[in-house]
Amino acid sequence: MHGQTLERSEGSNGNDQGNFGMLESQAHIAFHLTGRMPRGEFDARTQGGLHPAILAGYQDLTALRYDFPVVLVRTGGDAAPVQSLSVLVDAAVKNIAQDSDAERLKRHAIRVEREIRKLAAEGATGTLSELWDVAVTRLGASNDELLRDSLSRLRAALKTDGEVIDCDKAMPFRLFLHAWQSQQDQKTKNYWAKINKLIMKLSDILSSDFVRSKEGLSAERLRASVGGMDQDAFDFDAMSRLLTEARANEPLPENRRQRVRGLLSTLRSQRFYSPAGESDKWIGAGEPYSFVFENATDAVAAYRERLPKMIELAKAIEIAKLEADGEYSEARHDAFFAEFGGNGLDPSDIAAFPQYLICLPAADLRAAECDLILQAFAAGLPVKVVVQTDDLLNQSPITGELLFSGLRGRQLASTAIGSATCYVLQSSSSNLFQLREQVLRGLSFPGPALFNNYSGASETGIPPYLAAAAAAESRAFPSFTYDPSAGATWASRFSLGGNSQADLDWPVQRLDYEDVDQQLVSENVAFTFVDFMACDPRCAKHFAEVPRPMWDDTMRPVAELLVRESEDLSQVPCLLMVDGDNRLQKVIVDEKLMRDARACMAAWHSLQELGGVHNSHAAALVERERKSWAEQAPPATEQAPPAAAAAQGQAGAAAAAPIEAPAAPAAAAEAAPETPSNEPYIETARCTSCNECTQINDKMFGYDANKQASIINPDAGTYLQLVEAAESCQVSIIHPGKPRNPNEPGLDELMKRAEPFL
Amino acid sequence: MTVHPTECLLRMYEQHHELEDYQSGVPRWCTGCGDNAILAAVQRLCRDEDLRPEKTMFVSGIGCSSRFPHYMKTYGFHGIHGRALPVAEGIKMARPDLNVFVNTGDGDCCSIGAAHWIHAIRYNMNMTVMLHDNQIYGLTKMQASPTSPRGLKSNTTPRGAYLEGLQPLTVTLGVQNVSFVAQAVDWIPEVLYDIISAAYRHKGLSFVRILQRCPEWLPKMLDPWVHDPLKTMLLTHENGVTPSANISKVYKTQERHDPSDINRAREIASIADPIPVGILYHNPDVPCYEELRDAGQQRSTRFIKAGLEAEFDKFTVWPQGADTNARPNA
Repeated sequence: MHGQTLERSEGSNGNDQGNFGMLESQAHIAFHLTGRMPRGEFDARTQGGLHPAILAGYQDLTALRYDFPVVLVRTGGDAAPVQSLSVLVDAAVKNIAQDSDAERLKRHAIRVEREIRKLAAEGATGTLSELWDVAVTRLGASNDELLRDSLSRLRAALKTDGEVIDCDKAMPFRLFLHAWQSQQDQKTKNYWAKINKLIMKLSDILSSDFVRSKEGLSAERLRASVGGMDQDAFDFDAMSRLLTEARANEPLPENRRQRVRGLLSTLRSQRFYSPAGESDKWIGAGEPYSFVFENATDAVAAYRERLPKMIELAKAIEIAKLEADGEYSEARHDAFFAEFGGNGLDPSDIAAFPQYLICLPAADLRAAECDLILQAFAAGLPVKVVVQTDDLLNQSPITGELLFSGLRGRQLASTAIGSATCYVLQSSSSNLFQLREQVLRGLSFPGPALFNNYSGASETGIPPYLAAAAAAESRAFPSFTYDPSAGATWASRFSLGGNSQADLDWPVQRLDYEDVDQQLVSENVAFTFVDFMACDPRCAKHFAEVPRPMWDDTMRPVAELLVRESEDLSQVPCLLMVDGDNRLQKVIVDEKLMRDARACMAAWHSLQELGGVHNSHAAALVERERKSWAEQAPPATEQAPPAAAAAQGQAGAAAAAPIEAPAAPAAAAEAAPETPSNEPYIETARCTSCNECTQINDKMFGYDANKQASIINPDAGTYLQLVEAAESCQVSIIHPGKPRNPNEPGLDELMKRAEPFL
Repeated sequence: MTVHPTECLLRMYEQHHELEDYQSGVPRWCTGCGDNAILAAVQRLCRDEDLRPEKTMFVSGIGCSSRFPHYMKTYGFHGIHGRALPVAEGIKMARPDLNVFVNTGDGDCCSIGAAHWIHAIRYNMNMTVMLHDNQIYGLTKMQASPTSPRGLKSNTTPRGAYLEGLQPLTVTLGVQNVSFVAQAVDWIPEVLYDIISAAYRHKGLSFVRILQRCPEWLPKMLDPWVHDPLKTMLLTHENGVTPSANISKVYKTQERHDPSDINRAREIASIADPIPVGILYHNPDVPCYEELRDAGQQRSTRFIKAGLEAEFDKFTVWPQGADTNARPNA
């Protein structure tokens, strides 16, 4: 906060202070309650030319360094599409500053930045490089050697360029349009990368078929494919005859040829992505579609009209992928693709197509339009709606008075959040740069998105940035983001990021001023809704300035009286403001404005709860848990181990099961070698598939699904064969057992041979 | 995250292949040849990983080992002696989407193909190389090979081989960029399968030396190791192979070896008795040549032709030097 100098002027009616004391406070109260000044009671200048004390330091925006102006960076490459001038200048200084001239560079950089900021505020348009050059001339760099040197080096270090825009009425739409355009360009690039491959493969199918066909093997083509000097060496007619007759070439089935041709023409004639740079492949009729609209009716109509084409293109891409891999089978796929898109396209398919950007000034919004927008959200149309409110005070149709509302935008935002499938971002334009990540995420969100914006550009004479920032600070137009793709729970989706001191009712700032004795006084002052209204001259009639001699203790800060409903009617809320000479003044606020402020506070409290700050449900739950903990304090220690044991018990049960399973086969494996079985068997798991046993008798020994041998029929051969197999088995896993046929000759000999294998 | 409905539908129609679907013809190998075991393990791998036959390629040189591609019902390339690896590398560069396997023998890889072997390891292209090491030239009827042990009597060494056998594992581990080295034996099919499976899943050149019996020429040479399970040392680790309980009961000699420890891997590679079986070294982070050189460009005919024309123009049209501005826009 800037410190301010001010002097307490001497009361003009010094002698009369005592007499006026009682009557004055009554007059204050009267004003407060009725909004009207009792005639002639005190010198109540309406605050012409006053503004809230906290804003005192922000009167000249060009002298400050803040987010704006921003540079809309040319697309292509990894640079973020929106960057702040201050950040760019700082980065340039950091890159080239060595210790010796760092100070000088920084100073000069700030001078240029300030000059550019002034230019932008005056309404100059152009790219960063253009404005830089103008600013350099204005600074008179030609005269100053050092200045010229630093400026030229800084200029070389500035890597990015783009349009410079200041925070004015047109800024939000331009920013959204630019961000949307950069995403659009990326999508187009991705599309063409994908499509080029498919087009090439499909063309290859057609051309390879042609090359193998009769026309492709004609004598002229064959002659053309052989190089100059050797052309005389061949009889091309004979060659052509040989090739066409000898080869039994199946031409491409007509169905498939037509299909591939159709795919190629669909892919190349689509109008959704601009063919920039690929114009040799594009054969579309007319211009590529435009996706930027000024109203919802046009946008929805365009979407409906283009939907069949969209389905056709998505279908063509899928079929083309299958065809390119040679996997399209008419029997399987024709029926499927005939119904493709019958239920509308899959959301991931829609997300690959361009999104529809609709820029709507809130003042022009009618109920029918709002309704259409909400229906589009419900239907999941890929629309991105930017609603810009320029003036938060509207004429109320009921009382005819000026009302604080910004109604249209809020309505849309609340309903959109309720749908739970729509991305919603509400923010003042002053915050848009800070929330640029959320802006980009909303624009790339695969579904409808709503951006509710307050530009601050009402005709109040205050710079739009200041008005927007004041609205954001005072919770008159708080920021929030609702991102359905961030998770399944409210906690993960809803965020109050971008609001300062979101856990407080009103943000609190330190105000330093000098009192009558030239002592520095520091106060914590809240910036409330009332302060915001005080910025607007149209609300002047709700305030009454009180001359300094009449300041007393019944005048309390607004923030204090907002919180507690004052039983003590003698206290009146007042606001700290400064006049044109930077002198501190106090004004009383009337009851009507206090009511509005309380309503704003209640709305802010609900937003806070949604964002998890002072959430009443969470608090109640914590309270209940705390009570139940307190009641069960001794048994709590016993509960903890059972709870832990219960958790471990599940893991233990799971562990016990696998332990038992290996134990069983191990036991089985144990059992097997221990008792020499009479049955012949093979330890199949160790079989190396060497074919020795299967070659001896493939009815007795056979392979399983893993090509490992087992005895499939022990009676299909002799004991001799079993013993031979056991002897020739490379890994000695065949166990012949006892002879099954006692009549077999030479059993004694064989059993002796079988002994080592039992 | 929902799966794309088109993909879902297409997966319903995918074919699953049984083991027999990968078998093409009856192998001509001698009965009892360890090549049969390797064939069975590889076919199991193809079935379990559901490898598409038209996307799988077996490349070999010359030798008993190199008959392998004939018995797999996939694409195959039976090349010339010692050149399995260069052909496989070429295939991989042209079609990086194919699964490439290389079957090579101790003569094919370590003798005539030694030069290609060294550089293939450096290139680290994503393929699985199986060295069928039976320590003899089998197809040409019993001559000593580089890996034959000293003293082996063969047709070319009737008085016994004079030199110590080459140890393929130490050589491979000594080459820069090595990313996967393992040793298997053909008479423990379960561990053989685990190693080949891990080799397939590794992204890079997986070198698996498979000690293989030759029942025709060296029927008794590996008997001591086949019949005494204690002379086989299993290398176990979570990042390597973990043998099942059955195997561990029989093969009790085990060492816990971390495949990322190259120093210990080199020591283990020098051990001949007991035979170490398992994954000696595994480094998943070594880059593959085909990815390093992937230009990301579409290699259409027109593009290639334009590039060639530009190069030729340097010699014919602009003999005084290459003028890059003359290059046509591809």
